[in-house]
Amino acid sequence: MFDIAKVYESPADDFDVFIRITREEDIAVARQMAKQLAQEAGFSLADVTKIATAVSELARNIYRYAGQGKIMLKKKTEEKEGPYLEIIASDQGPGIADIDLVMTKGYTTYERSLGIGLTGVKRLMDSFAIYSEVGKGTVVIAGKKGRKF
Amino acid sequence: MENLRSNYGDSRVVPIIALNEFLLVPIQIDLDDRTVGLLQQQILEEIEKTRARAVIIDVRMVDIMDSYISYTISETAAMARLMGCRTVLCGLQPPVALTLAQMGVMLQDITIARDLEHALLLADSQSGVG
Repeated sequence: MFDIAKVYESPADDFDVFIRITREEDIAVARQMAKQLAQEAGFSLADVTKIATAVSELARNIYRYAGQGKIMLKKKTEEKEGPYLEIIASDQGPGIADIDLVMTKGYTTYERSLGIGLTGVKRLMDSFAIYSEVGKGTVVIAGKKGRKF
Repeated sequence: MENLRSNYGDSRVVPIIALNEFLLVPIQIDLDDRTVGLLQQQILEEIEKTRARAVIIDVRMVDIMDSYISYTISETAAMARLMGCRTVLCGLQPPVALTLAQMGVMLQDITIARDLEHALLLADSQSGVG
């Protein structure tokens, strides 16, 4: 069983970037920090943009639906194939009752939205997993591999 | 609108340049949620004031556009259209275009141009609102 609370309590030291999302401004802070880390890790400009955009979507989801949470980023540059970056978005908000439904493109409970956030993140990243429990919170873990060329 | 104004004050977030019958909006700052909301309000007010025929939004300097920013720009264009004003978006950077396409973001109610020159041409050549 995936432990949502344990992920939320992860120590900040385990990550290269650790951002608490509590205010709307933190969404922009998160994407700028993600952009910087991805650049440092050696990702191409296209991948830097995809990573920063994915982080922006995840941070906004935290702010909108859970009120607060954390974005945690970890880079692994020692990979032979190129850089690798893991994004963990974690909150202790209301959780998602029907994950399949929220992963449907165009579905949204927020009026000012394209309903593209989570499906968009999944499309931008190489790996994507979502864990959620009603009343406990939500964790999204996404990874991006950098191509060498 | 009045309510928004009292919350945010009358601050201008981006320069809006009136050029013939067009409004030129070069975005040169990171668009956080508050800024993009202010931008929308500001554009609509300027359309009303100047009776512009087209708004040209230049996003050449914008390096991250997520679905919310896209949504708000699209919504602004839809509002402008209802006011009889066309919206032309230009200068989308290749990585931004790639990201939006991959996410499946459609920019509706907006004419897309390659650059400012192309945008001015499109804004000028097309009569009516599309």
